[in-house]
Amino acid sequence: MEEDRLLEVRNLNKSFPGVQALDNVDFDLKQGEVHALVGENGAGKSTFLKILSGNLAFDSGEIYYQGENYEANTTQVAREKGISMAYQELSLVPSLTVAENIFLGDYEYKTQNKLITFIDWKYTRERAQKLMDLYNLDINVTKKVEELGVGQQQLVEIMRAVAKDVNILMLDEPTSALSQEEIDILFNNIISEMKKEGTSIIYISHRLEEAFQISDRVTVFRDGEQIKTMDIVETDRDEIVSLMVGREIDDRYIKPKGTIEKTYLEVEGLTAEGLIENCSLKVKKGEIVGLSGLMGAGRTELAKTMIGLLEKDSGVIKIDGKKINIQNPNDALNAGIAYLAEDRSESLVYPLTVSQNITLANLKYIFEHGILHKSRERAAGEKYVEELDIDTPNIKQKVKYLSGGNQQKVALARWIYSDVDVFILDEPTRGIDVGAKIEVYHLIDELLANNKAVLLISSELPEIVSLSDRVYVMHSGQIVAEYEGEQITQENIMHSATGGTN
Amino acid sequence: MNNTRQNGGLIKRFQRVTNLGPLIALIILVVFLSIFCESFLTVNNIFNVIQQSSVNLIIALGMTVVIISGGIDLSVGSNMALSGSIMALVATQVGLPPFLALLAGMAAGTAVGAFNGFVISRTGIPDFIMGLGMLSAARGLALVLTGGLPISGLPPTLVFAGSTTAFGVIPMSVIVSIIMVSIAWFVLNYSHLGRCAYAIGGNKDAARASGIDVANSKVKIYALLGFFVSIAAWVQIGRIYSANANMGSGQELQAIAAVIIGGTNLFGGEGNIIGTVFGAIIMGTISNGLNLLNVSSFWQEFFIGSIIIVVVVIDQLRRS
Repeated sequence: MEEDRLLEVRNLNKSFPGVQALDNVDFDLKQGEVHALVGENGAGKSTFLKILSGNLAFDSGEIYYQGENYEANTTQVAREKGISMAYQELSLVPSLTVAENIFLGDYEYKTQNKLITFIDWKYTRERAQKLMDLYNLDINVTKKVEELGVGQQQLVEIMRAVAKDVNILMLDEPTSALSQEEIDILFNNIISEMKKEGTSIIYISHRLEEAFQISDRVTVFRDGEQIKTMDIVETDRDEIVSLMVGREIDDRYIKPKGTIEKTYLEVEGLTAEGLIENCSLKVKKGEIVGLSGLMGAGRTELAKTMIGLLEKDSGVIKIDGKKINIQNPNDALNAGIAYLAEDRSESLVYPLTVSQNITLANLKYIFEHGILHKSRERAAGEKYVEELDIDTPNIKQKVKYLSGGNQQKVALARWIYSDVDVFILDEPTRGIDVGAKIEVYHLIDELLANNKAVLLISSELPEIVSLSDRVYVMHSGQIVAEYEGEQITQENIMHSATGGTN
Repeated sequence: MNNTRQNGGLIKRFQRVTNLGPLIALIILVVFLSIFCESFLTVNNIFNVIQQSSVNLIIALGMTVVIISGGIDLSVGSNMALSGSIMALVATQVGLPPFLALLAGMAAGTAVGAFNGFVISRTGIPDFIMGLGMLSAARGLALVLTGGLPISGLPPTLVFAGSTTAFGVIPMSVIVSIIMVSIAWFVLNYSHLGRCAYAIGGNKDAARASGIDVANSKVKIYALLGFFVSIAAWVQIGRIYSANANMGSGQELQAIAAVIIGGTNLFGGEGNIIGTVFGAIIMGTISNGLNLLNVSSFWQEFFIGSIIIVVVVIDQLRRS
């Protein structure tokens, strides 16, 4: 072990059912450096930080911290040892004040006698104020967290992570909720001050320019593997992007050539305050349009705003040139737009049967005058179990007993059965095995053969590249690039997704 | 390791008997009571049990649909007092034909249910808070209307369901119960509304995303329960030949217990009418048995409450 290494990780492995999340990862961290972690969604960055911060246990491998074996079962243990993490999803209590939040669970007590102890609020406030002064932050520590803007809340979250003596601070996409001004505060006040104190920082970001701005070294993750660690001055944007991408799609799938017709769905200037901004896109019948972007770029939010699950502030949606008014999912269905949710638990009714789930979006057909047409329901169930090769003992099986891939096919079958023209598929192959993935691809082909329009949201770049006729890339709630034909490459998409300009 | 496997096995075994559970419980109960109580297993007493169960059963049927849809209604007892009082008042004091009085009471019960559903779905307040409020409000309204006095001298139409017999043997309340069971069964298994109830209770977001009008469905589901409550009120005032504003007190607990004992998931999405029928008969059998065994009514309340807690705990274990 080299002298200046604060942390050293060797052959770290972690698997979840069906996924090798971390695959023999090696990593080291120097005293007082800022170390950026970059990679696609699902590359293993967050899993890695969760292990270091005591949120997850690892399967095998070695971690040395300050020369000793390190393993943290809980976040408390990790914090005691000086390893602390600021989370992207805030873990603050909104109804408590800033000071109360920063020292939550770690209050200083005034002891009167053995029976009665009081929390020393005055001291707590003073400590919090000292912290704010140290990093030059203008946040009132007696204000309730819920009264702060989301960016200031993020800064409080970071203050909470550094409130105790900390040797390693981990930041998981801290800037996604920050304004430019707040980003400057984070970089110039907090991070540089901590570096001066000798604290090491591990930094996950989806904005590559930030890595160049503040980090000393950068490590690229891909598919759970550590690909390369470099000094930031010895690399450039193109090299990092090319290391991030490069996964191949399963070669058992070849996209058939379809016929693309005229524009069918048009979205113009769709905005939902704080989520998506001025998004415009077009999808033609017979076409797969990929919607790419990294986690938090706003892809799902865009889809949900399109079908009325999220409220829009402005923007127009047109079908076949006609403006339509979508207030809720029912309006979207009537207009012929279906949304397959990213999370299966948002779309399936687990206690209902396979056929009941398949017919759920087309109840007006199987209930004639409000009364069940049993044969139609059975026919629908049997048809799609057969056509989509859904592995179930019978159509009366409850969906909760099916495997993930088969559940996904049931969810897809529902939209096919409801006879819509536009399919928005959000991560249709997430969490299902390779065989089922190929089957889902063939189902999408079939949609195109039937002259449907498909908007495909996927975090898997190879999937986007090999399936899409056209690709939009999102970054920070906006559509920042559009690629077509030969331009659709993993490098180009990743370049735009990480905030690169053309 | 070994331990966890055993636990898993136990839960699995629970799950396998879940549908038979209410039936098995009833059989055990009947065998037990037949042994310890001579007068239990007589034709007279069995009719008695079924008749006594009918009011609770009819309410529990509507409650089943509400609970399957992920809701709950605590105001059913008060609503029964209100709609029963309105039937009696309209017939005896307003002087309208008894048939119209019956319809007025049914309309009132249905309206109270619909109002519950409307407020819950439009404002998003928790179902049981709305029920708690209406529990007091409807009872208060019934007290105002009746002046707190019982109304007797009911016309034959209003005692028909509670006090007459068909073919000289079968209590009319049993016939009414069978009709209501059929309606509830049909609604849950064959109607659009029933399917919406399952979908909303099973996964509200999925139901909404599939184009189901969740708010509207909830109004209809609660209105349906209100209608069932008014029918139960008709049976009840017939049984006691009068109406008063205090009847049905604590009824909500009895009905919910019958539904849960019948295997309906307290959190929605799963359940069936046949289970509720068994659940209501079990509840009736228990109180009948306790009566025959000379257990004081004070202790009876204690036992009923305990049974509800035990059943919900078992239900929770079975599902986790």
